[in-house]
Amino acid sequence: MKLLFQKLLIAGLLLVAPICAAQTQDPRIKTGSLDHLATKASQTVDVNIDERLIRMASRLLSEKNADEKDVKQLIAGIKGIYVRSFQFENDGQYSPADVESIRSQLRGPSWTKMVNVTSKKDGSLEVYILLQGEQIGGLAVISSDDREFTVVNIVGPVDIDKLSKLEGQLGVPELGIESTKPKAKNNE
Amino acid sequence: MNEEYLWDKSGEPDPEVQELEEILAPLRYQPKPLELPAPRRNNYLLWAIAASLLIALMAGSLWLKFRSQQPVQQEQAKSFPSVPSVFKEQPKNTDPPKTNPPRKRNRKSINQREHEEALAAKQQVMLALRLASEKLKLAQRRTQAPSPNQIKNQHRVG
Repeated sequence: MKLLFQKLLIAGLLLVAPICAAQTQDPRIKTGSLDHLATKASQTVDVNIDERLIRMASRLLSEKNADEKDVKQLIAGIKGIYVRSFQFENDGQYSPADVESIRSQLRGPSWTKMVNVTSKKDGSLEVYILLQGEQIGGLAVISSDDREFTVVNIVGPVDIDKLSKLEGQLGVPELGIESTKPKAKNNE
Repeated sequence: MNEEYLWDKSGEPDPEVQELEEILAPLRYQPKPLELPAPRRNNYLLWAIAASLLIALMAGSLWLKFRSQQPVQQEQAKSFPSVPSVFKEQPKNTDPPKTNPPRKRNRKSINQREHEEALAAKQQVMLALRLASEKLKLAQRRTQAPSPNQIKNQHRVG
């Protein structure tokens, strides 16, 4: 009887360990703490696409169109795409705590900060990747400046090179995110 | 020999008997409480508690996992209307023909709904990828950008 209990306990531990591990290494970033910014923002982009919707979208992407084919290939293994972007009309509408609520989730051992660019003029841009073995299991981008705060989270294997080359090919109107700042100095 | 002493310790004791008594004195019966061997400790209760805790932990983990997935679905439902209208393609022929009989129209409307959902999902994917791509490219540009000093020097040379 005692032996049976021990076996059950070990089997249970073996069952629980991967669940706990999966829980700790979740590549999905929780952005619920940013909900309150939507009321202050002049423009909000909120994208939540899970695997099912990605598969649905993939069906509509044409194999004949080169751009759409690229996108189809890119999203083939992706399990989720989540974006929260806020554009503000005035400075200081979000707090450092808002940024920290996202950044703190990326401090785990699985996430690696790939890029961190900070400047007073252009704000801060951080790129994180989640490594699962030798493969990229997720991507997170935090972009913040005086009047913009954006969090991009891609769950699943993503080809970063391919993704960065997609800009301008997707047939989607320009978002104008970079051009929100006054460019008076440039014109001069 | 006084036999009375042997019976009830009365009378005069015999020296030999007295000597024997002294020799055997340590082996005399001494009244003390009965000491039973300690019962074997039963660990079943501990194991049962451990197993219960484990089951509770498993159930908790599964519940957490389930709960973390649920808000995503709820958010999806919320998020669709928030996509700027600029990024929404106007689906072609979305309205079912009015002349169709109710059954066909119902079936078609389901397909239509799926198609619309897929179309919205496609737009959202495109939008999200565009944003992600834009940010990555920006990061690339910023990390590869020459320092202001370098630009100054180039300007002087030029």
